[in-house]
Amino acid sequence: MKSVFITFDEAHYEKITDVLEDNDCHGYSYWEHLMGQGTNGGEPHFGSHAWPSMNSGIIAIVEDEKVDNLLEDLKEIDENRPQLGLRAFVWNIEKCI
Amino acid sequence: MSIYESSVKRPIMTSLCFIAVAILGIFSLFRLPIDLYPDIDTNTIMVITTYSGASASDIEQNVTRPLENTLNSVEHLKHVTSKSKENVSIVTLEFEFGYDIDALTNDVRDKLDMVSNSLPDECNTPILFKFSTDMIPILMLSVQAGPSMPALYKILDEQVANPMARIDGVGTVSIAGAPKREVHVYVEPAKIESYGLTLEGIAQLIGADNRNIPGGTFDLGSQTYALRVEGEYKDPRELANLVVGSRNGSIIYLKDVARIDDSVEERVQEAYNNGVVGGMIIVQKQSGANSVAISKKVMESLPKFQKTLPSDVKLGIIVNTSDNITNTVNSLADTIRDALIFVSLVVFFFLGKWRATVIVLLTIPLSLVGSFIYLYATGSSLNIISMSALSIAVGMVVDDAIVVLENVMKHIERGSEPKQAAVHGTNEVALSVVASTLTMLAVFLPLTMVTGMTGVFFRELGWMVSIIMIVSTICALSITPMLCGNLLKDSKEEDESKFYKMVFKPINKALDALDNGYAKILDFAVHNKKVIVLGCVGMFVGSLFLGKFLGSDFFPTQDNSRIKVSLELPNGTGTDISRALAKKLQKRWTEEFPEIRVCNFRVGQASTDNLFATLQDNGSHIIEFNISLYSIGVRQDSVESKVPGHKALGLVTVCDSMRNELYKYTQFKKVNVALGGGGGMGGQAKVDFEILGHDFDKTDAIARELRDSLLKIPGCGEARISRSEYQPEYHVEFDREKLALNGLNLSTAASALRTRINGQIASYFREDGDEYNIRVMYAPEYRRTLEDIENITIYNAMGKGIRVKDLGKVVEGQNPPTIERKDRERINTVSAIVAGGGDMGKLVTEAQKKIDKMAIPAGISVDISGDFEDQQDSFRDLGVLAILIMILVFVVMAGEFESLTYPFINMMTLTFAVSGVIFALLISGETLNVMSLIGAIMLIGIVVKNGIVLIDYINLNRERGMKIIDAVVNGGKSRLRPVIMTTLTTILGMIPMAIGTGEGAEMWRPMGTAVIGGLTVSTILTLVFVPVMYCVFANTGERRRARKAKRKANNSLPESNS
Repeated sequence: MKSVFITFDEAHYEKITDVLEDNDCHGYSYWEHLMGQGTNGGEPHFGSHAWPSMNSGIIAIVEDEKVDNLLEDLKEIDENRPQLGLRAFVWNIEKCI
Repeated sequence: MSIYESSVKRPIMTSLCFIAVAILGIFSLFRLPIDLYPDIDTNTIMVITTYSGASASDIEQNVTRPLENTLNSVEHLKHVTSKSKENVSIVTLEFEFGYDIDALTNDVRDKLDMVSNSLPDECNTPILFKFSTDMIPILMLSVQAGPSMPALYKILDEQVANPMARIDGVGTVSIAGAPKREVHVYVEPAKIESYGLTLEGIAQLIGADNRNIPGGTFDLGSQTYALRVEGEYKDPRELANLVVGSRNGSIIYLKDVARIDDSVEERVQEAYNNGVVGGMIIVQKQSGANSVAISKKVMESLPKFQKTLPSDVKLGIIVNTSDNITNTVNSLADTIRDALIFVSLVVFFFLGKWRATVIVLLTIPLSLVGSFIYLYATGSSLNIISMSALSIAVGMVVDDAIVVLENVMKHIERGSEPKQAAVHGTNEVALSVVASTLTMLAVFLPLTMVTGMTGVFFRELGWMVSIIMIVSTICALSITPMLCGNLLKDSKEEDESKFYKMVFKPINKALDALDNGYAKILDFAVHNKKVIVLGCVGMFVGSLFLGKFLGSDFFPTQDNSRIKVSLELPNGTGTDISRALAKKLQKRWTEEFPEIRVCNFRVGQASTDNLFATLQDNGSHIIEFNISLYSIGVRQDSVESKVPGHKALGLVTVCDSMRNELYKYTQFKKVNVALGGGGGMGGQAKVDFEILGHDFDKTDAIARELRDSLLKIPGCGEARISRSEYQPEYHVEFDREKLALNGLNLSTAASALRTRINGQIASYFREDGDEYNIRVMYAPEYRRTLEDIENITIYNAMGKGIRVKDLGKVVEGQNPPTIERKDRERINTVSAIVAGGGDMGKLVTEAQKKIDKMAIPAGISVDISGDFEDQQDSFRDLGVLAILIMILVFVVMAGEFESLTYPFINMMTLTFAVSGVIFALLISGETLNVMSLIGAIMLIGIVVKNGIVLIDYINLNRERGMKIIDAVVNGGKSRLRPVIMTTLTTILGMIPMAIGTGEGAEMWRPMGTAVIGGLTVSTILTLVFVPVMYCVFANTGERRRARKAKRKANNSLPESNS
């Protein structure tokens, strides 16, 4: 099992839930508003006067074999709309109940 | 979930909500009556008290003064004026506008109850009378008649006036100029004296003879019959054979001593329409009814009435007040349409996308329609004020939608899907949209609180624009994102059509060039701050100097094609002379001014049962013209068809030349040419110089001197004195001893005189259900000289006849004029009318100089009132309002920026608006009046919006880490388009108002001009001045911060060392 943490411009939300659904990843947790900025370029997302846009975050725990596919789909979304911004990070799940 | 999110997610519900509002609005629109002004509550109450037999000064002392003293304490009273004339006192209470007149009436009634005991015993109970605009006639019809003239009254009364009065909403229908039938018994005094008859006796006999008397019932066999004596005359000629007495055994018939004349009333007001004798029908509406609707109904029924009339009687229209109202409202509707077209073009030009244009433009009808619901709910109407509110708003309602749309489009370009972009894009700008609406509300809501006359007018404007702005903001936050989400295409899908490339590529290039050019100017400006600031300050100060050349007025003069001319010849001038003079003038004017459509005049004494005429001054020496020009829309064509090549004149020019001509006739004692038909607004400004003082002679002398010097001031078209001169008349002074010796008293003697001269109504002649007076009086040839009066025989109880000359003497006397008072002091008013291109401000300044030079005795003062007083009041109110609005706008901006500096910079741009207003008014030749001031006040809200947009973006750039100068230049460059776009929509929306030539356009032209001038100048300067000032203040702030940091660092250094 792997944990996939996806942070993205909130405008991406519906597309990402669709991708999760397509990849058979039904379970996830979702933060509607997240603030942050990227390391390499891109507009900061602070919901402030200067940087009004906001990020959202989704953490999904998925089976190992689904991860690559999922990441590929997410990459496609990101490349389609590079100005919005989307990142996904994967790490292992040690235990769960 | 926010409003925009739910709107985007529930498009059906959102659209249906707005469709419901639109339907309600359209429903309201069709039910809205049309009127010229919003409902104006009457603010005047008259208290009329009669006290028979008292002279003017007795009335003043015993009735008027006590009444004034008591009524003066009624709340909200503005002025108490009074007129004391023989037998009657009229106290007029003028209240401040905007209070419930019914409550005030009750207060007045309570006060009257208090004072009634201290009035003289014979004095009648005071009557309260509320004057309202409903009393102004809505229609004046002309009647031209040929052979039917003698029967005209009956014909008109039966065929026109009565059926017309039955039309729903019609109040009173009066007939003027058509004499009523009357049977005269013209007695020859010598003959009745020789037969020993008296006039009273003859009258009594006629009364007794002309009767039907029921004689009861009686049984004839088995039947019961009624018995009647039918003595009423079937024909007036039967009167001739009435037996009035016998002498030496022979019978004396009435025809032996008198002439029976079956004709019309002797003294009657005559009416001439375009030179043809005839009558007039005056229609007044029921109170509260809608004039346009009623006059439409009456006009529709006119052909029906015409059919029933004899062929020589023709009905025509002299004045139809609803024409002016409908034309005015229609020309405003045209203005709104033009504004809509202009605004649409600007939006399309800048956005370049039809979908985006539709989305933005859709907010216009939705917001405007919403305001119709308000109008309908408050019982108001489509009038000058509500329509101009719509016209003003057209250019401003799109602003919010544009801001939202622009941001949503930016999100789409970045890659968001339209729906997501709609939600997030709106979310980002929602606050600033609300803030900019708040600045507009800070301007227009206080307008609803203005008091006085101006308040009555602008309350509706304030509410209308406020509601429209609120609705437009709601639209921008709900339907605009909803439509953006559904109509706008994803940036990936969008392909540019050939047409788009052909048209908008060059436009975009031009706009880019403009952006770059502006950036260069800005770059220069921020590096040469002193030059810019000094230049701006210099321009402002210069414009203030130019402001000295600006004339000032109260309200603009309106061309509603109506003129009322009242002329007064010396007292006692006969109708023949007045008529001849009037005919001469009528002929001259119709030849000289082909603009005249109808020229109607009335001369002569009106009978007492003519309600309309009795409300006005009338008499054999008074001539009253009612002139209608062709309405402004068709004037040039009509004039052209009469006199080819002639250029149609405006109402003001016509009035001025009429006045100049009338002043050449020295026989006129008073001349009044009232532009616009008198009453209401939109006439030429009138300045009243009130001479307050007790002494008649002194105040009269000052009034005459003032009138003469006023007439010498250029720009004063007319000056007249309110107080009439002593009126010449004849008094019969009976010697009481002689009366007593002859067994007479004053009342019998006086009534005998009245019977012989004025006549006595002996009975009524009945025919076809109508009754006509049978009046017994001396034949006209026996009451023409003073000797005739002296030779009148009065009989005492013993039947002995005594001549008037044996009882007293007939002497020439003088009737003192009406005593007028204002605020409990005697007053004589000199009213000056501003004409000939002059303005009120200059006239008052010049007049004040003349007054200062005059030697005014102690106890007498000269005050200036009339339109000038109203203007001063309104200007003061508007001044206070402007300050209040500025404070509110400052508060809103300070709240938005969380700073006191930026709002301050922004408020400075208002000075350029002032310069712009002055320039625009000077160039267009308009004056500073209430309308242009309202325009200037609106500017406070409109102008700062540009500054807000600029400063907001410069701040944003700084927050993103730019240096001050970069932030300013970049911010200015990127905000140039939205600023120009919103400014252009507002300016172009106002252009139809400022250049309108339709009926009533004079009214709002100064407002449009002021807004356009102020906004243009201030926008151009704001674009340079605000960034420069921003740099100045931001640099100072930075330096201060740097100094503080340095000081802190220095302070902390020794500590760390220690």
